[in-house]
Amino acid sequence: MISIPGLEFFMTLIIYIMIFLIITLSYNMAYGYTGIPDFGRAMAAGAGGFLCGYLPGRLMFYMLGFQGDYLENVYLVVDRINVILGENPLLSIALLAITILSGAIAGAALGLLASLPIFRGIRLFYLGVTLLAIQIGFNTIVYHWPSFIRGELGVPVPDPFKWLTYYSSSAISPGILRSIGIIVTSGVVLSTTIFYLVSISRSPLGRVLKAIRDDEISVAALGRDVKGLYVKVMVVSYALTGAAGAIFAFYQGYVVGLHFDRVEWTFWPIAMVILGGLANYKGTVAGTIFFITLKRFIMFYKANLESILPFSPIWIESLLLGAVLILTLIYRPRGLFPERPETSLTRKEIEKMREVKE
Amino acid sequence: MIPLLLQNAIVFANIVSLMAISATLALSKTNVPNFAVATFGTIGIYISFTCIKLFGIGLYSSLFFCLIFGGIIGVVVYQLIIKPLRRRGATREEIMIATLGLDIFLIALLNIYADYLTRTFKVMARDFTLSAYDFTIVGLNGVFIVSTLFFTATLIFLHLIFTKTNIGIAMKAMGEDQFLAECQGVNTDLLCMVTWFIVGALPAAAGVFFPVNWISNPTISLFIVVSVFASCVLGGFSTIYDAVIGSYIIAMAQVLLVPYLANIVGPWILPYGFLVALLIMILTIIIFPRGLYGLPWNMIGERLQDAFNNMKRRWRFK
Repeated sequence: MISIPGLEFFMTLIIYIMIFLIITLSYNMAYGYTGIPDFGRAMAAGAGGFLCGYLPGRLMFYMLGFQGDYLENVYLVVDRINVILGENPLLSIALLAITILSGAIAGAALGLLASLPIFRGIRLFYLGVTLLAIQIGFNTIVYHWPSFIRGELGVPVPDPFKWLTYYSSSAISPGILRSIGIIVTSGVVLSTTIFYLVSISRSPLGRVLKAIRDDEISVAALGRDVKGLYVKVMVVSYALTGAAGAIFAFYQGYVVGLHFDRVEWTFWPIAMVILGGLANYKGTVAGTIFFITLKRFIMFYKANLESILPFSPIWIESLLLGAVLILTLIYRPRGLFPERPETSLTRKEIEKMREVKE
Repeated sequence: MIPLLLQNAIVFANIVSLMAISATLALSKTNVPNFAVATFGTIGIYISFTCIKLFGIGLYSSLFFCLIFGGIIGVVVYQLIIKPLRRRGATREEIMIATLGLDIFLIALLNIYADYLTRTFKVMARDFTLSAYDFTIVGLNGVFIVSTLFFTATLIFLHLIFTKTNIGIAMKAMGEDQFLAECQGVNTDLLCMVTWFIVGALPAAAGVFFPVNWISNPTISLFIVVSVFASCVLGGFSTIYDAVIGSYIIAMAQVLLVPYLANIVGPWILPYGFLVALLIMILTIIIFPRGLYGLPWNMIGERLQDAFNNMKRRWRFK
């Protein structure tokens, strides 16, 4: 019997798409526009996500003057924090904003650290290898560091959307209300990301970034600070991903040291960007929506797939990811939406200028 | 008598060396950064496991099958993935991402295979060791003797190939400039296939030794890959000799230094063992990004000679 997905499935799908869009769009800026083979994206998402497990709970713990050890009584403390947050919408919104902002700052700091090898003039290939290894190291440290977020045990995250259920009518379920809260939050961050990245892509800076990707030496010869631009791109891109990681942690309501693994948070975003098309926001959006929808449907129909497939459906995602990466790079390297020259002026504006000239 | 810890360190160094040689060859000869190198090693682990558990073949006899099947997998990967990518003029970064995709794909296949072995043959195909199949001679573990002999033989064999044979010299030429080598009549496609046979065979052979000392599963490559790339970066990704030196430094630091530090600062440091490799890699990139290969050895030699002469002069003066 094949079940049909309900409203909650589609709410979850929208949340995943919005969070991953922030990541893929920012990744597109680093790899698609600037050509940085960044294999450490999971680290940036983790910076925001893990910080979300560390900061808001402790902040409220000290602000409200609770006694004892935070981690020892974490469930009890977070429950009491949630009760207080449920009655204080302003406090909840402030906590949400501070955490997302802190996640972005943590992501930016990691972006700066991760791009330090660039100053040593290493080849981009070396940077890719280094970031992949640093990311594995980062996850290992968080996993084995009990006083941070209790490693494999993890910690619950205070719920800044509790007040929505407190003030709403009983007609809508609390889960749906919470999802609406997450969608609005990620919508704000996503809109900021899109506005910022589209502005950059249409500005002279966007063209310089593309020029760096195509021929780094020529750009340097024209007097541009190539290394500085690499670092700036990494910092901004990691900051946006860090914010997305923090939103995801709030959505999950729980953070474990195993979260933010490299396959889910580095390789899938790469596949989404490559399938959609590099340096192309339309393609990135299409790639992200396609893959996230596919992944969610695979997850939803896992039980049905079990009877059809000769192997456990948990491996189907990895098989799909590997196959898509390889096949896209061989047969459609420019993606579904190939890169096109981006004009800084609209067609109407160009026509108008021509008319004036004539 | 060699202490057990040192034996284990040398075994690990041999394993990492074989994989680092493979990664270095792939990059320096065919311009392919192979991220799936450690997973080729995991394939070797499962070929060996299959030989022992299903066909009753001895642990070290399975080395032959690992070499052959690993080599074939290397050639298949070259023909199906690398060659089409190179033909369409893919950048190094694109090939790098393709090998990452290959890595994920192979890990999923290995997991499916492990599930199949467990379900069909009722054998524990995850988190296993093959230490029960090893032997001991005069206090030395079989894995230490065989891995060291195999590694030494491989190094001598590769050295002879690259210095004494036409095929090795042609490989060197291909590594320097493929188009120029083709102009000289070198069949680069054939050479790439030979290189990829070695690239697949060496890590697969290393896979025979790994489960003797360490717990193995289909995802073990995620941890080994850090040591392998750290060794390659330390070596400079240029010659097999630098890769071997890099591997030995990394492996010794990882296996010997971490337990030593655990005695001083406490056992909490043990889970971070492989971070030593990462730390060395980062320091290499910051201090001498071109690795051991790029160091000005002539100048270092002259400086050391001067320092030695100065010391000798002072000693005479006293």
